[in-house]
Amino acid sequence: MDKIYTICPYCGCGCGLYLHTTGNRVTGVSPSRSHPVNRGTLCVKGWNSHEFINHPDRIAWPVRKTDRGLVRTSWEDALDITASKLSSIAGEYGPDSIGVLSSAKCSNEENYLMMKFARAVIGTNNVDHCARLCHSSTVGGLSGAFGSGAMTNSITEIDEARTLFVIGSNTTEQHPMIGMHMLKAVDRGATLIVADPRRTQIAEFAQIHLRHRSGTDVALLNSIMNVIILEGLVDIDFVKRRTENFGGLMNVVNYYTPPVGARITGVPAEAIKKAARIFATQQRSMLFYSMGITQHITGVDNVRSCANLIMLTGHIGQPYSGLNPLRGQNNVQGACDMGALPEFYSGYQKVSDPASRRKFRRAWGTKVPDKPGMALTDMIDAIGKGRIRALYIMGENPLMSDPDLTQVREAFRSLDFLVVQDIFISDTAGMADIVLPAASFAEKDGTYTNTERRVQKADRALRPYGEALPDWQIICRLANRMGYPMSYNGTYEIMEEIALLTPSYGGILHHRLDENSGLQWPCPDMNHTGTPYLHRKKFARGLGDFIPVEFLPPAEQVDDDYPMLLTTGRMYFHYHTGTMCRRTSTLEREEPECFVEINPSDGKRLCIRSGQPVNITSRRGGLEVKAMITEKTPEGTVFVPFHFREAAANILTNPACDPEVRIPEFKVCAVKVEPVAGKKTTRKPEEVDISKFWIERE
Amino acid sequence: MKRVNIYTPFRAEIKEIEKKTADVNLYRIALPKRIKYSPGQFFMVSVWGAGEVPISITSHSAFSDGLELCVRKAGFVTSLIYNAEEGTDIWLRGPYGNGFPLDIAGNSDIVLIAGGIGMAPLRPLIYEFTNRNKKYGNVKLVYGSKYPDDVIFRDEIEVYKQMGAKVIVSVDRKNGEWDGNVGFVTDFLGSIKADMVSAVAYVCGPEIMIKNVTRDLSLMGMPHEKIITTLEAHMKCGVGKCGHCYAGCKYICTDGPVFSYKEIREYQLMQAWEDNK
Amino acid sequence: MSDTFILDRNHLPYWLRQLRKERKLIGPMRKKSGDIVYEEVSNIHEIELNCPAILPPVKEFFFPATEAMLRFKKGNVNDNIMGTPAVIFGLRSCDVSALNLVDRFFGGDIKDRYYTKKRENTLLVSVGCNMPDPTCFCMSMGTGPFLHKGYDIQLTDLGDRYFVEARSGRAKNIMNKFRHLFGKPSKADYEDQYEAVHLSQTYFEKRINLEGARNAIVSGAVHDDFWRSVTARCFECGGCVYECPLCTCFNVIDRKYDGTVERARVWDTCMFKGFTRMTGGVLPNRDRIRRTKRWYYHKIVYGPEQIGTFGCVGCGRCTITCPGVIDMATVGMKLSKGVDNS
Ligand SMILES: Cc1cc2nc3c(=O)[nH]c(=O)nc-3n(C[C@H](O)[C@H](O)[C@H](O)COP(=O)(O)OP(=O)(O)OC[C@H]3O[C@@H](n4cnc5c(N)ncnc54)[C@H](O)[C@@H]3O)c2cc1C
Ligand code: SF4
Ligand code: SF4
Ligand code: FES
Repeated sequence: MDKIYTICPYCGCGCGLYLHTTGNRVTGVSPSRSHPVNRGTLCVKGWNSHEFINHPDRIAWPVRKTDRGLVRTSWEDALDITASKLSSIAGEYGPDSIGVLSSAKCSNEENYLMMKFARAVIGTNNVDHCARLCHSSTVGGLSGAFGSGAMTNSITEIDEARTLFVIGSNTTEQHPMIGMHMLKAVDRGATLIVADPRRTQIAEFAQIHLRHRSGTDVALLNSIMNVIILEGLVDIDFVKRRTENFGGLMNVVNYYTPPVGARITGVPAEAIKKAARIFATQQRSMLFYSMGITQHITGVDNVRSCANLIMLTGHIGQPYSGLNPLRGQNNVQGACDMGALPEFYSGYQKVSDPASRRKFRRAWGTKVPDKPGMALTDMIDAIGKGRIRALYIMGENPLMSDPDLTQVREAFRSLDFLVVQDIFISDTAGMADIVLPAASFAEKDGTYTNTERRVQKADRALRPYGEALPDWQIICRLANRMGYPMSYNGTYEIMEEIALLTPSYGGILHHRLDENSGLQWPCPDMNHTGTPYLHRKKFARGLGDFIPVEFLPPAEQVDDDYPMLLTTGRMYFHYHTGTMCRRTSTLEREEPECFVEINPSDGKRLCIRSGQPVNITSRRGGLEVKAMITEKTPEGTVFVPFHFREAAANILTNPACDPEVRIPEFKVCAVKVEPVAGKKTTRKPEEVDISKFWIERE
Repeated sequence: MKRVNIYTPFRAEIKEIEKKTADVNLYRIALPKRIKYSPGQFFMVSVWGAGEVPISITSHSAFSDGLELCVRKAGFVTSLIYNAEEGTDIWLRGPYGNGFPLDIAGNSDIVLIAGGIGMAPLRPLIYEFTNRNKKYGNVKLVYGSKYPDDVIFRDEIEVYKQMGAKVIVSVDRKNGEWDGNVGFVTDFLGSIKADMVSAVAYVCGPEIMIKNVTRDLSLMGMPHEKIITTLEAHMKCGVGKCGHCYAGCKYICTDGPVFSYKEIREYQLMQAWEDNK
Repeated sequence: MSDTFILDRNHLPYWLRQLRKERKLIGPMRKKSGDIVYEEVSNIHEIELNCPAILPPVKEFFFPATEAMLRFKKGNVNDNIMGTPAVIFGLRSCDVSALNLVDRFFGGDIKDRYYTKKRENTLLVSVGCNMPDPTCFCMSMGTGPFLHKGYDIQLTDLGDRYFVEARSGRAKNIMNKFRHLFGKPSKADYEDQYEAVHLSQTYFEKRINLEGARNAIVSGAVHDDFWRSVTARCFECGGCVYECPLCTCFNVIDRKYDGTVERARVWDTCMFKGFTRMTGGVLPNRDRIRRTKRWYYHKIVYGPEQIGTFGCVGCGRCTITCPGVIDMATVGMKLSKGVDNS
């Protein structure tokens, strides 16, 4: 039995673990004791992260769509078709008619290559990935306020904090190992303030739980700042020396007195005051937020409010205090850092900046497009309008993850060409013209950046399944076929190129990552040992900018026809679109069915009992799920997880987007809920029948 | 002795399938060799590629040269068994479990109380107790089902009567043709003409029914060790290794599945069910 | 009685190399990341004996987290019982005690041959703990830091030499082959060995009175409120069970690869509600508090009733791996100190 060190493929905590292998099989998993984040622990997904690797549903060879379904083909054939199709579409409609979706599940090297592929090979800036759907507001909001959009502290610092303010994050379930550090801080006497409409597990440990209405975060934060200013709790020195535009903030926040805040958010004025006083007066205060802040049409505004609060109280630029967006995917931080974004190269170097363009043009030896590309959500719109004709998708499943699925599915049908690179036939791959089999995380090496900016190296444990290839090799082969030579001897060579072109990764090379669980960027040179916390002495942009924001209600309000608020999210045992976890027996057994959480008083009013099937309908579609009556969800709000393809919550969600960063409003939409007449139970839906995709199986 | 692997099933053949109700089939199975089994024991039935499920024995080894299993289509594996055809192979492990205690019956009256599919494990007991060679007391059967269409052994009730059993059949709710009793089995416990204090009761059915019936029988004066029931649990191995069926310090698969009401109370075997009300 | 020997520290690699000729040698090895794991030994000089408790316990060599049990192809069943001869070097006393208990569980009348075959072919060379970890409480459980019986070969580190005890029959046979390497212990060796055993006891930071915990539960002094407060901190990760050297629950899954069905078992834990789910969605252990109780009752209450010992050897692995800090040591301590039910 061999034990190979790797990084957990699920969430952004980036826990270190060992894969146990016998032959070419993974037989188990064990946590790393020396890893700074997990310290010998793992969450249930980590413990079970080995099972899907050898799942028989894995794609073993390239497949091509024919009128008989998806058929096995050779790599030569699949790559030739892809290369010629992409070239001819780029030739006919221009390179901007092609969209490229990179993946927050793939390594930094692969994301870097993917964005290079889009820009240097195809010649478009239309490259994006699912960060658009989770933390684009963070990148947008914080680069304005601070000049850099990432978690400012390290996870280990949480243990020592005195106040933890968690807003819009179900930490113990979604970032369990960060939740562990929070519990530890609470055990040591720290004060925990949670702002969340739902009564989540972390809220059970909170001294103050602010249950504000979904979508009223700006009002809540403004109100807290109002108290801080009125009661003279502002860190005046910090504001004077390190920030600008305090006056602007005052003018806006003045209006949001606690009674006003209470009226908008539904949180008692006293609770707002109490939270404000604790957060401002304690030293070592950390603020955490996640999807509850970002997935709104006011996502950027929400993030700015968080930044304002942090600057107002001076809780930044020190250890143990700062602003901490908790990133979702194992490498979503890395995918953003690597420039799999329409407006940035790696290291957030702007595409619109001629100097950056010159740098990349010279390094890549080809001209690069100058106009920022389309965001993921815009690409989907553009498909419908015929402006995007082909998509190249690596390890993403937009047909489950994007809002208003019915529309998205419609749009995908009108594509001229769709190529998907994945480990399973996902809903998206099921529609593809070509599916390229990719190696799973255990079958390749590479680096991943976790939410605390820690760049970590994962080793290869297995030979790829069947004929599958690591994503970076597939991209290289495709580029070569399209006339742009790309050849690397290994991922370490790609990392060298990244270091050369990316200031914040300047000193990050593979051989430096083996010890001490990696390096935290910025790490500009080979002697630098990484940066545990950001914005020391000065902000990345110089002075921190107070960007005041007014409260705006969600795009869709409840009305007589759709009287309930729907909010969507993840649950502990599953992960995103479920391609991996739902192929893991333990996880699937825990939660085999989709459900909707309904408050007991709503349940009573609508005559719905636990376990009964209900119909949820929004303006965009409807689905049938099992009701779960629980106090977790407040009155007037229902919650549906989005992991289940047979009851995909995103059929309901609203595609309205934040105007700046184009993040959709997953967290609020209006629905109606009705019991299904005459039915007592929901049956577990049919197993996902992959076999129907394989007409020719060798 | 050849070392056997306790997890390897053997092959048997489905000889005949008898459709009993809309979702229950009776399978007559030819065994490759003679296997001794007793009432209340169960087999682990394998469907390769799907899994294994525990199924109680419905036949009596003295009255049948093969094996009979009665399976209700309930989930993944049982649906596949349900779709099987005559003449196909079926893979079995067993028999497992302790089986019903027969000696405690002595010559006192015997009360059998079945609910739904719970009739399956009790069926061999009717054969056992009405067998004239052995000296048992009178046999009374109370058999409840949800609807008239769900009475699994409707066609055999006459046979039981001929064999000498007194039978009360009831349904919870009436639909279509039915001129028999309507009500829960608990409603008919009073109509059993037997000396309850000396009688022995064998109870099998859904867990809520077991709960109510055992409680009522004990109120009617039956000693707890003479109320016998068989429990269900999530099972994976059937041989006391996988741990799934462990409840209140007993392995249902090897220490059970048959327990007396006394044991159930003593070891709190059904406590885990309580929050399912 | 055990045979006793003395082994020069410099001869240890030679001895291990000889043992490796006939068997796979498994020992604690340091990885690049700094962790120490049990692994097949490539370089004998890199074996790390001074290491904190290793995750996961050695049970995985006999009962792997995933193990293919049966393969079914074209109407034939093959069982996949394997057991390459191996020697595990450098495990601890608590690990050996735990394996002895698991042997009773998987052995006995109904034998699990997947486990017993591997176990029969494996020789255990344990090293007593001169310096227990802060998480250890084997002394309270009587399962360490040194063993008096139940081991194959036990070493005591005496600095420049090892005091070697061979107890089981096969261990004695193997030792016979290496007579030339070992000396006869002198009186001073015995005294040094006793001193190591004696001193180690003073280093324990934890003393857990599980008997007291058991009495508290059995006497009814522990109410559900206590279990509720414990359960509130549970992350439902299953780590406590995966890491416990005594926990052996498994799930069985079938997988279809082209033409072959593989029936495999995977580690499972009673901390999950699906563990007892029955058809129709009935969940006998839906409430999380029932699952927490089940684990503790099994180990603290039913263990002594059924097999005469607690279901815990005090290795402290659950202390290391539980993110909620509701491990055996913490909860056992609280229980035995008298629970505040308010
Ligand atoms: C001792 C005993 C005797 C039984 N006798 C009969 C019988 O004679 N006739 C009959 O129709 N049914 C019987 N059952 C119930 C039958 O085993 C379940 O209906 C069956 O396991 C459901 O499996 P499934 O795969 O179809 O359902 P799914 O819901 O798909 O189950 C998934 C898995 O969960 C486990 N599981 C779920 N429910 C049960 C359960 N009730 N018992 C055990 N494991 C479960 C199984 O391992 C199964 O593979 C008996 C159960 C027990 C414990
Ligand atoms: S309960 Fe904890 S301390 Fe005891 S043996 Fe198991 S893992 Fe070790
Ligand atoms: S290790 Fe701790 S948190 Fe995880 S399941 Fe066990 S008790 Fe719960
Ligand atoms: S079914 Fe496996 S232990 Fe009882």
